[in-house]
Amino acid sequence: MEVLLEQLPGEIGVGLDLLLGAAAAYATVVSGNRLLSAAGAYLHGVCVAVLLQAIAFVTFILLAQRSAGSTYVDVGNVRFAGYVPIFRFGLRSLTAEQLPRLDWLPSAVILLTLIAGLVLVLAAPRLIRTAR
Amino acid sequence: MSGLLLLLLAVAIAEASLAGLLFVFSAVLKLRLGIEIGAASALFAEQGRDFQSTVALFSPATVASFIFTAGCGLAAAAWRFRCWRPAK
Repeated sequence: MEVLLEQLPGEIGVGLDLLLGAAAAYATVVSGNRLLSAAGAYLHGVCVAVLLQAIAFVTFILLAQRSAGSTYVDVGNVRFAGYVPIFRFGLRSLTAEQLPRLDWLPSAVILLTLIAGLVLVLAAPRLIRTAR
Repeated sequence: MSGLLLLLLAVAIAEASLAGLLFVFSAVLKLRLGIEIGAASALFAEQGRDFQSTVALFSPATVASFIFTAGCGLAAAAWRFRCWRPAK
C-alpha cells in the first residue's frame, strides 16, 4: 500500500480521491453498527451546533454594528450578550464622515464563510453516501 | 460512565474550538471579547489599543451554549439510534 501510494502522482485530485475513499470506507463501517452510527451522529450534531453558535455570534455583531448605541441580548432579566461600540467625542473631519462606512464587510465575509461551512457540514453525510 | 465522559469530552472540545473561533473573529473584527463563566471572566484585547468596541458574553450565554451543543449532539444521536436500519 505504501509503495502504491508513493507511486501515485502527487496531485490534488488524487489526494481528494484518497480522502473521499477513506471517508466512504469509514462511513460504511460506522453506518453498519447502530451504536457507532449514533456516536457519529452525535459528533455531527455537535459540529453543527458549534457552527450555528458562531453564525449567531457574527450575526449579533453585524446587527449591533449598525446601531448607534450599545446593544444587549436580554431574555427577561437575564442578560446573555452585549456589544458596546467606541464612543468618539469631539469633532470628526468631514471627509471621514462622507466616506462610505464598510464596517460590516469583514463581518459579512465571515458570516458567508460560516454559512458555506454549515452547508458543507450538513451535506457531508449525503455526499459521502453518494460517493460510495 | 466512560461513555458519558466521552460525550462530555466531545462537548468540552467543541466549546473550546468555539471559543477559539470567537477569539479569531474578534481579532479580525478588531473587537475586545469578554467571556464570563460564573465568577471568572476572560477579556481578550489587542495590546496597545485602548479604544476598541467590546463584545461580551455573560454566564447565561456560556451555560446556554454548553446545553445547546450537548442537546444538538444528543438529539442527532437519538434520532439516528431510533431510525437506524442495517445496510442492504
